[in-house]
Amino acid sequence: MRAILVGLGVVGARSARQLLSSNSISELVVFSHRAAGADAKVAALGGAGVVRPEVLSDASFSEALRGASVVLLAAPGLRFWHAEESVRAGVPVVSVSDDPGEVRLLLDLDGEASRKGVAVAVGAGMVPGLSCLLTAWAASSMDALSEVHVASLGTGGPACARRHHAALREPVEEWRDGAWERKVASSGRELVWFPEQAAADCYRINRPDTLLIARAFPGLRFATTRAAASRRDRLTSWLPMLRPPHPEGTVGAVRVEVRGLRGGAAETVVVGAGGRPALLAGAVAAAMAARAASGQLRAGAGGLASLVESPGEVLADLSERGVRLVTFEGATITPG
Amino acid sequence: MDSGAGRDSGKTKLKLLSRALLAVGLAALAAIFIRLRGSGGTPPHGGGWRELSATDLEPVDKK
Repeated sequence: MRAILVGLGVVGARSARQLLSSNSISELVVFSHRAAGADAKVAALGGAGVVRPEVLSDASFSEALRGASVVLLAAPGLRFWHAEESVRAGVPVVSVSDDPGEVRLLLDLDGEASRKGVAVAVGAGMVPGLSCLLTAWAASSMDALSEVHVASLGTGGPACARRHHAALREPVEEWRDGAWERKVASSGRELVWFPEQAAADCYRINRPDTLLIARAFPGLRFATTRAAASRRDRLTSWLPMLRPPHPEGTVGAVRVEVRGLRGGAAETVVVGAGGRPALLAGAVAAAMAARAASGQLRAGAGGLASLVESPGEVLADLSERGVRLVTFEGATITPG
Repeated sequence: MDSGAGRDSGKTKLKLLSRALLAVGLAALAAIFIRLRGSGGTPPHGGGWRELSATDLEPVDKK
């Protein structure tokens, strides 16, 4: 398999390591915006003789597309052209973007991707990504799905932290009673118990999980997304970041609460995972890239819940890659 | 009878005091706004996280 990776930030590097560890890669072309420092980063990945660093340009990207099995977009600030060009060339695309604007653009490729018979896996990180897989897995055990509530803690690399900062001030679209409803960001405080972490106050955030999940489950009534944030995070979200973000977040978790009906009775399933956000995102991105390359995803553009046939298999794969997946058991959870 | 300098000093102090009160008031309003938005949650009284096993993740029809 010949794979193309665009972006060698924290999530990009984690994805590359995961891809290389699978031993299914014959060549990994790594595109970065700047030549300076790229060689050292590529050397740190290992995989001698397999990884080929390139400086990103339209010509070099088009050239690399020939014979490629998959394109993994992990650079902040998506260039839609890369995705469009890949689909045009019949190469599946996996994107880790968590920017709702970028996600909407990628979803617009649905028609073209379906015609070409390739997958455009949108939001293949921790949130969205792992959140969509956990939702799909929990939903597969239910007769009817009514509500999905996603919460997350922590950020991956600096780009992810900057996005989190902006998303706490942008208007939030929530899926309520089968329609989109605009909410104020950083509102709707909810105390969430995350796996492997203490509880954290979570607030509405402008992330595309809701959009991707609502598209995947047409009968869904409610879908919300929240993220853990401190008072300082919320108060300063209206200002430029006061200090540079950390190189990589060390604490992270995702929690998904799925409500529906099973055998005519109301059912709630709570699932989650804990770990470094970039590690979780990298594992999901690599697993999806491997599946996209081998044609195991449905054709078209969509979130992971839309494209994956068997979410349990992907989760089992992630579990083998070291992602600890958990479910909450033993307490009656009353709808809030 | 106050001198002009005394009146100016009094005015300055009053201005300073009113500004300080305004700042304290705004800070209190902001704190109330931040504190009161949202309803919090109820902690779970029992149960805990259990790791999903390979068997859990196998595709099963309506487990």
